[in-house]
Amino acid sequence: MPLIETYALTKQYPGVTALNALDINVEPGIIGLVGANGAGKSTLIKILLGLLPATRGKARVLDMDVETEGRAIRGLVGYMPEHDCLPPDLSATEFVAHLAEVSGLPRTAARERTAETLRHVGLFEERYREIGGYSTGMKQRVKLAQALVHDPRLIFLDEPTNGLDPAGRDEMLDLVRRTGREFGIAVLMSSHLLGEIERVCDSLVVIDAGRLVRQGAVAEFTAGLGSLEVEVEGDAAALAEALTARGFEARGEGFLAHVGLNGDDPYDAIRDCIVELELGLVRLEQRRQTLEDIFRPEADEAVAERV
Amino acid sequence: MSERAAGSIYDLGYRRYEGRRLGRWDAVLSLYVHGLRAAFGLGRRTRSKVFPMGLAVVAAIPALGYLMAAAFIDIDISDAIGAEDYFTSTFFFPPAALMLFVAAVAPELLGRDQRHATLPLYFSRGLSRQDYALARYASMATALLALTLLPQALLFFGNALVVDSFGGYFQDEWGQVGPIIGSSLLISLFFAAIGMVISAQSGRRAFATIGVIAPFVFLPIISGVLVGVVENFIGRLGVFLNPFFVIDGFTYWFFDAAPDLGEGHPLNTADFAGGWYFFFALAVTAAGVALLVRHYGRRSL
Repeated sequence: MPLIETYALTKQYPGVTALNALDINVEPGIIGLVGANGAGKSTLIKILLGLLPATRGKARVLDMDVETEGRAIRGLVGYMPEHDCLPPDLSATEFVAHLAEVSGLPRTAARERTAETLRHVGLFEERYREIGGYSTGMKQRVKLAQALVHDPRLIFLDEPTNGLDPAGRDEMLDLVRRTGREFGIAVLMSSHLLGEIERVCDSLVVIDAGRLVRQGAVAEFTAGLGSLEVEVEGDAAALAEALTARGFEARGEGFLAHVGLNGDDPYDAIRDCIVELELGLVRLEQRRQTLEDIFRPEADEAVAERV
Repeated sequence: MSERAAGSIYDLGYRRYEGRRLGRWDAVLSLYVHGLRAAFGLGRRTRSKVFPMGLAVVAAIPALGYLMAAAFIDIDISDAIGAEDYFTSTFFFPPAALMLFVAAVAPELLGRDQRHATLPLYFSRGLSRQDYALARYASMATALLALTLLPQALLFFGNALVVDSFGGYFQDEWGQVGPIIGSSLLISLFFAAIGMVISAQSGRRAFATIGVIAPFVFLPIISGVLVGVVENFIGRLGVFLNPFFVIDGFTYWFFDAAPDLGEGHPLNTADFAGGWYFFFALAVTAAGVALLVRHYGRRSL
């Protein structure tokens, strides 16, 4: 059963098309929703939650229609908004327990789940203090806790690492990973940072200017796309030429050459070429391609198109 | 506790919630109770309690004074304060306190969720926007009802003290209970509707508070001019512009009382039957609630 499906989903604001005939189909797991700021990530999440009506098209979450079964969907999902959404004069315990009750948990169960969930996200004694005095990292944890407190089947996290320092970012990503892997809750996480998505997500959906760029498993994007980085003492361009002559994908500049891993035994070929050209080999390193490498040109093009 | 006995703390890992899940009604109820507590600042800092609690006392000042007087000195029953007069313009404090209470609490109930952007957290749960608006309105109206019923209860006991026969008073005046509850309920629903619909327009607390107070200050002035100066039917209709006179009108109607307000009192000048005030208050209340629900239904997030 697909987790989320959309058919020609379109959202138009006066003068702006936020989502443009979006067709998405994702399976359960940790899903990354990637796009530049303003690509339509938040709009998509809000439509899936039923917070915003779509202009055209259909969307299904957990095999239920967003428009007609919105209440049933909202009972089974959690939502962590991008913006600040916590009242400063309540304690985390009080606020999260209140929201747990609004989610339909009986009072005592709401209290228990609140204590457990806050512990899971790493808030301990400070959970009895007023939220107003929390750091950004602690506030993000409370926001995550309120999305998890009623034990949903799917959570929507809108830019969960927003405003966090590198350490806080790592901790939040770790929490997201644990939520998906250990807790068994499906996650849709939006981010404009590919590196984050690559670290925690199983699959990704890339959107730009409201249109789908690509979707699929993260492994599909990165596997088989590796390259070798060769550092030599001498002319790397000449090495690249020699390798290209042998049928490899290679380019070189200065002391560095990049060689594709697609041909027949590239290591031997590199060694032979270096010997022939009498270059000194300094370093030979396999570089796994990151999502950044794959989408950088596409994203740049998209930006150029818009300008 | 067992883990502590074992001498070490284990991370039990994430546990699924297999317990009971309640329905929409319970969700609305919990929001309502939370709002009602917040209205009086319960579970909040002391600072949040001062104003609502203080106004509750102000609303009860005439009743408290009367109760104390009745306990110590002989008051003739003909001088007793009638339940029908308590929230009318006869006394200044009670209706003014109700108005200030709405102006202080309604912006708090609605504005907090707007200011701190907590609305998406509510609306992304199994609660509809309409449920939210109605639950908040119900909290406001109930808080007002507490404010109106408390002095009436004090007054009832005060009068029972005056007549020296507790049981006898209860028996004789049992018929008062219905009108007391009826008029208090309508006052609460009426004021809550006005206060909430205005407060929903601004998340800024100061604006909302001023917005609620303004009509209670300016409408009576306009009403006074219309009733006093314009000597035709339109002028007479002006009496409905003064929320306090509307309350006077329907309260006397509930109690079936025809008080001697004196020559030239706007209620006498306007000369409408009490039922008209009742229906007018009901219509304003219904319109206010409908607008509130519509406002939250349309609100973009």
